[in-house]
Amino acid sequence: MKPVGETVQFRGAERYVLDDELAKIVNVSMALEMPLLLKGEPGTGKTMLAHAIAESLRMPLIVLNVKSSMKLLDALYQYDTLTRLNDSRFGDSKRDVSRIEEYIRMGKIGQAFVADCRTVLLIDEIDKADADFQDDMLDVLDQMQFDIIEIDKTITARHRPVMIITSNAKKDLSDPFLGRCNFHHIAFPDPEMMRLILGVHFPDLSETLARASIQTFYRLREFRGIEKKPATRELINWVRALRCDPDFDLKRIEGGDIPYLGVLFKKSLDLNLALQQAGRSRK
Amino acid sequence: MFVRFFYMLREKGVPVTPTSFLRLQKALALGVIGSLDDFYTAARSILVKSERYFDLYDQVFAHYFKGAQIEGMEDVELTDIARALLEEWLKNPQEMAEALGLDEETLAKLTPEELIRYFLDRLKEQDGAHHGGNRWIGTGGTSPVGHSGRHPGGMRVGGSSRSKSAVKVAMERRYRDYSQEGPLTEFQMGEALKRLRRMIPHGPRDVVNVEKTITETMRNGGEIEIVFDRRLADRLKVILMIDNGGWSMDPYVGIVQTLFNYARSQFKDLKIYYYHNTVYSRVWLDPQRHLRPELIEEFARRDPETRLIFVGDAAMAPYELVGENGSLYLGQRDSRSSQERLDFLARTFRHAVWLNPQPESTWRYTWTIGEIGKRFPMFELTLDGLDKAVQHLMRRH
Repeated sequence: MKPVGETVQFRGAERYVLDDELAKIVNVSMALEMPLLLKGEPGTGKTMLAHAIAESLRMPLIVLNVKSSMKLLDALYQYDTLTRLNDSRFGDSKRDVSRIEEYIRMGKIGQAFVADCRTVLLIDEIDKADADFQDDMLDVLDQMQFDIIEIDKTITARHRPVMIITSNAKKDLSDPFLGRCNFHHIAFPDPEMMRLILGVHFPDLSETLARASIQTFYRLREFRGIEKKPATRELINWVRALRCDPDFDLKRIEGGDIPYLGVLFKKSLDLNLALQQAGRSRK
Repeated sequence: MFVRFFYMLREKGVPVTPTSFLRLQKALALGVIGSLDDFYTAARSILVKSERYFDLYDQVFAHYFKGAQIEGMEDVELTDIARALLEEWLKNPQEMAEALGLDEETLAKLTPEELIRYFLDRLKEQDGAHHGGNRWIGTGGTSPVGHSGRHPGGMRVGGSSRSKSAVKVAMERRYRDYSQEGPLTEFQMGEALKRLRRMIPHGPRDVVNVEKTITETMRNGGEIEIVFDRRLADRLKVILMIDNGGWSMDPYVGIVQTLFNYARSQFKDLKIYYYHNTVYSRVWLDPQRHLRPELIEEFARRDPETRLIFVGDAAMAPYELVGENGSLYLGQRDSRSSQERLDFLARTFRHAVWLNPQPESTWRYTWTIGEIGKRFPMFELTLDGLDKAVQHLMRRH
């Protein structure tokens, strides 16, 4: 199989700060060969974890981005009827039209099953799909095999992939689903952790700027009535913005004058609220 | 091992299944748990499946392991666990078989008594074989897990380590915010209401219909004929009726506001009406209930597939509901009682629910809640209640 396009945007373990607790949970899940279900606020690094695991274990990473309209079959394999139809009509391809197998393409789960080595399979945002999809998928992952009806062939996994499943939902998934997963909720990083995270993204970040920005960031998160609080991603972008601005003066932040609020607050209502409250706190 | 811990979690309301408990035993047997710290995290990830229970777990953990002696099994607990185990077994034999390390057929042959015996034997066996007594945990302190070599394929532990003991960490109650009592946010509402939609074809024809394309191509003698369909889009009609009158709804203004905001941004075809306490001859489009009234009879002309959602505490004096002149307002003389109006709406819209912001436990003290509940299925205005309400609304009749 191909080593999957995701390697391109692969940020790697060097850019991910793994906390101790999470590492233990990953290890237990791997030992028990169970999928690990991760929940947490957006921006707590759920998706990044899978990237980090893949990198540190030197396994290829396969990402299945779940969509609401997705059928389980899409994740397993696709029978490309249109191409076959086209080939049979015009007959100018090298494929053998009478062999259906040539028109079967593996989906993401299929790829993980037929891979030559153990892979990390990231199933991202499982909550988008409906409950049936979720349960059926776990059945497949439990049995480690599925049938391709068109050619009456059973695909059995050569290696049990390391499975990471993420969910943004505050709502719980179905009981049978949860029963088959290990669970972890990633809490929002504390300031100390945040300093480490900033450290891996900006190795040359000055201590004063780091401290001031983190302090401001957590203060902004405390603002009342904010619907979408700024998360790690916003902080990183904000620090990047601050560093790009030649006129930026650290004293301004300390004085309560916060530039580029728009980087931190993405909803106009939030931004207005933040502007008001930031203005009020200015000395 | 740790049977009492398991039992305590259940008693405190953490939904722990025997299957997951067996899985924890398996993890212990595999030797991936080497210290109390490990046990804290591993047991939580295996046993507790929602962050809402993390806080409870912390409390039980702290209580249980804070200098606690681990006691032997007691008969009482075991019968309880056995019962839970049996329930689980009935529900999901396959999973249970897996957790016990039996195949399903062998499991099926066991009588309930044998099953329990087998379960207990396994617990005892693991006690002896792997734990060497009661106090095996917590003496080592350092974790063998994850550092290079010890566990093949394990993750290396990086980043910073919390140098606190698991019990201390548990006592910090870091997850208090996530426990169930928190107020409903718009985001959570969104999650609960997400399923409330009806997909129908809409917009330009730009999706290839493979089945039809093949049929048409055959009909065309092999000349390719591609058939396009319209994309599916959400076209669910929703009517939201909000009780915004009187002091009795005051405490719930916030939560209703959240629902309102969400509904307005989410549903494409949404009508919001206001009423006070219950519905008489008309409801209003404006929150002041003055300018833009709409007669209840008019609703007969609406699409009967529309989902009707009432929000209100349904608490009032009985005569307001049954009296022909029940309305509190002067000048609002009416020929029919509110009861009949509600019956009419319930007949018109097959998919209707009543969301009540009051806790369900208090409903039986109010007569009118019961009466209205007979006409519209009533659900609590909480995450779980919304979820059930949506299920009801989307049911095919």
